[in-house]
Amino acid sequence: MSTAVTSEPVLTAQHLSLAFGGLKAVADFSLTLRAGALAGLIGPNGAGKTTIFNLLTGVYQPDQGEIFLGKQRLNGLKPSARAKAGMARTFQNIRLFGELSVLDNVRTACGVRAKSGLVGALLRTPGWRAEERAITERSMDLLQTLGIAGRAHEQAKSLPYGDQRRLEIARALATEPKVLLLDEPVAGMNTQEKHAMRSMIQQIRVDFEVAVLLIEHDMGLVMEICDHITVLDHGTTIAAGVAADIQNDPAVIEAYLGAPDDAASEGADGVA
Amino acid sequence: MTIFLQTFVNALALGSLYGLIALGYTLVYGVLRFINFAHSDIFMIGAWISFTFTGWLGWSTGAPAYALPVILVLAMGFCALLAVAIEQIAYKPLRKAPRLNVLITAIGVSLFLQNTGVLKQVFGTQPQRMPSLVNDHVMFTLAGVGVQFVDVLVVLLAGALMLLLQWMVFRTRLGRAMRAVSFDERTASLMGINVNQVISITFGIGSALAAAAGLLYALKYGSLKQSADATWVLLGLKAFVAAVIGGIGNVRGAVAGGVLIGFLEMYGAAYLSPHLKDVYVFVVLIGVLLVKPSGLFGKAVVEKV
Amino acid sequence: MKTLAERTAAQRPNVALTALLSLAPLAVGVIAAFLLQAVLAPAVGPFYAKLVLDVGIAILLSVSLNIVNGFAGQFSLGHGGFMLVGGYTAAYLTYYGSIALWGTAEIHGGFMEGGDIFFMVACVVGGIVAALAGLLVGLPSLRLRGDYLAIVTLGFGEIMRVVIQRTGDVLPVAEAKQKGMLGSLTNVGGSLGFTDVPQYVSPTPWLEKTGHAGIFFTYIFVAICVVVAFRLKASSNGRALLAVRENEVAAEAMGVVTARAKVTAFVMAAFFAGIAGGLFGHQSTLSPSELGFQKSIDIVIMVVLGGMGSISGAVLAAIVLTLLPEALRNFSQYRMIIYALSLIAIMIARPQGLFGTKEIWETTWWRRLFGRRTKAEAP
Ligand SMILES: Nc1ncnc2c1ncn2[C@@H]1O[C@H](COP(=O)(O)OP(=O)(O)O)[C@@H](O)[C@H]1O
Ligand SMILES: [Mg+2]
Repeated sequence: MSTAVTSEPVLTAQHLSLAFGGLKAVADFSLTLRAGALAGLIGPNGAGKTTIFNLLTGVYQPDQGEIFLGKQRLNGLKPSARAKAGMARTFQNIRLFGELSVLDNVRTACGVRAKSGLVGALLRTPGWRAEERAITERSMDLLQTLGIAGRAHEQAKSLPYGDQRRLEIARALATEPKVLLLDEPVAGMNTQEKHAMRSMIQQIRVDFEVAVLLIEHDMGLVMEICDHITVLDHGTTIAAGVAADIQNDPAVIEAYLGAPDDAASEGADGVA
Repeated sequence: MTIFLQTFVNALALGSLYGLIALGYTLVYGVLRFINFAHSDIFMIGAWISFTFTGWLGWSTGAPAYALPVILVLAMGFCALLAVAIEQIAYKPLRKAPRLNVLITAIGVSLFLQNTGVLKQVFGTQPQRMPSLVNDHVMFTLAGVGVQFVDVLVVLLAGALMLLLQWMVFRTRLGRAMRAVSFDERTASLMGINVNQVISITFGIGSALAAAAGLLYALKYGSLKQSADATWVLLGLKAFVAAVIGGIGNVRGAVAGGVLIGFLEMYGAAYLSPHLKDVYVFVVLIGVLLVKPSGLFGKAVVEKV
Repeated sequence: MKTLAERTAAQRPNVALTALLSLAPLAVGVIAAFLLQAVLAPAVGPFYAKLVLDVGIAILLSVSLNIVNGFAGQFSLGHGGFMLVGGYTAAYLTYYGSIALWGTAEIHGGFMEGGDIFFMVACVVGGIVAALAGLLVGLPSLRLRGDYLAIVTLGFGEIMRVVIQRTGDVLPVAEAKQKGMLGSLTNVGGSLGFTDVPQYVSPTPWLEKTGHAGIFFTYIFVAICVVVAFRLKASSNGRALLAVRENEVAAEAMGVVTARAKVTAFVMAAFFAGIAGGLFGHQSTLSPSELGFQKSIDIVIMVVLGGMGSISGAVLAAIVLTLLPEALRNFSQYRMIIYALSLIAIMIARPQGLFGTKEIWETTWWRRLFGRRTKAEAP
């Protein structure tokens, strides 16, 4: 895996800044994610992690800075265009299509790569039918991978919490991304589930040849699986490097590890 | 010049009425986040009930000096109580339901009020003429334009009620509670505010203002169309447009929007074409919303993701 | 994991079977329309035939509005306005067009001959013009949401209504001939309504009088609309609309171009509303006051009652709400009050509408009654 990490950069963020009114949510944030990398983004609640995801995916436009996916400049593009370009994400506060079935959640996301248009769908042309079957087949495979195929026909909103997080990942993968942004994928899970999710993330990275950027409060998990970790506090990057360096960085210990309250709040969803 | 001034007076009077009605839309939108479609019907009932009370009190053919304040208080009180009852019965069970449902319910209430109004036991199907409760006369002449007492009355009374509301919203405990509920209902209730009570009172106040507008409308224009007539809904709709243009949820914006719509309609009618006055209103509405979706005085909200 | 493109390439659907499956529902629709006209209408007589006709137009309206309000979750109150646009376009074409072509504004020819075809084409053109209006109105929907959009669409309808009210009187045949079609563009009747439009949509069976097959025409369009709605719902384009309704931020993040999805919904809905307007306009006198916001509201009520996004719900609600006032006719002065109270009661008792977002056969009670045992229920 170490060979993969030294390959081409797929995602580059340069000097991103964003303020909400007077609050500097993100200041001068830079990051390079290489093909096949698994990087971590950590920091206390309100540090600006989710805001960085929102900047990368185009929910917010940065006040300053640039974002590249491969060689393509993403600034100014809408989230949908970035998804087409190969950027996928999950949401910390789960945002599934609640009334739709689990399968349809994934099929919707598969639609990004669909070629046949509205006319094909209304006439039910052979091309459309072939694609629709392929969409269903691929969606079922994705649900299988995430271990929720058995619930394919249930409503998404009726899933237990952990499965909702899994479905978010399946849905993101359905867009065939180059970069996968996971926002606290194990929040609210018990130790056993976390363990399973950890292997799943590592598996996904290999099977889908996707670079992963992971926001997570669970320090153990991040330290164990990430090749590279960036630590944020109050919007600024206070440390970046491999796990061992981060663990011993005094600034990090001060800002994050030194505050056991933050670590304890990992399970509380919706706080950040 | 004469036309200009005459139009000015008419526009100010009509604009004040729109402003009064718009306040009700804005207040209710503030606390409940929905278009109270039945508000125009409260306005209609305000006009009709004023007519009815006038008849009951035997003032149809000559009224004492205190007739106006008495009718005003009766009409405002009646509509406030009616609105609170409606809120309790029809809207309260839907607090947690999607907003569209509340909207449809409001349409149901609107249909109910209109069609109950036309029953012969209620207001009947015949249009009526509102007796003039005040001695209408030309108060003063300005550059050749005779300013009617009724116009002055409408503007002054509407203005006074608006100031009263303004004071209430920004200077009293009740007003603070209303603003708190409007800002964040959950936090407000955590802070010990009785949200349901605040919502009921807000409904009552908004409807009382609509009733006042109804009475003033009846006095100024004289003729009352039957309660299911489309003119009522259209008047209410334009008042709602006023609230939206001003930035819905914004008390001062509603008044400003009302006056703006009044001027737009009257000057458009006087100088362009009287038949297209509704078109001007809606064209301006669409224009304003496209340029500034939150209305002229409203604040844009960014969704937190 | 294999990509979608690779998997699609591997699929080999049977072309003949696909073509058959593609056409079968439409064929069934045409046959059903024919049977309603040829068998049901004569059997029940003109009074009930008229109801069948009204129900058809109502279905067309509620199923199409369901695409915007139910699928895409955008709140449009402009359906009456689109009806107006389509209706006047179609009526203008058949009235002045018939005069230009055949020298009279009478119904021309027998069943499915010149006049009938001309009328159907006019309805489709009405739909297209309404769809263009839908494009125009859909654009603001990109910036506005919820109630604001409702008001803009409502405003659009009102503008249309007032503009039509300002048009001139319908020209009599001789004058129309002299002025030509373009010359009579603004003579569509004003506030009195567009009178003397050939009444192609009459409930009478055509056996009694040539050219009258309104139920047949109406239900052909109903069939097309319903099939389109179902196919849309079960396709990527339709799922994109549902995703916009469910969570716009997530939809956009999953690559759904929400702006395009919304405009598509508006355009499709407006198209069918325009056709419904065309049918409506050839059934009785088309008048601007009849197609005001009250009409738009009536249609919204159908969609909400049926359940947002439920096509079968929209159909059923259209049937029930068209027949209900008729059923209450004996209580004439109380019927609107009863209607209003039922509306409030239903909203309170069943806020999600009759069927929620599901189709009738997807609901639990249907499955319990008619369903086979599914895996989930098996021990
Ligand atoms: N849309 C918004 N408007 C205003 N403030 C925001 C918005 N989104 C995030 N913030 C603020 O920015 C800061 C960073 O938030 P966030 O990125 O969610 O933190 P976290 O690191 O916990 O994910 C917080 O103080 C938050 O309140
Ligand atoms: Mg966060």
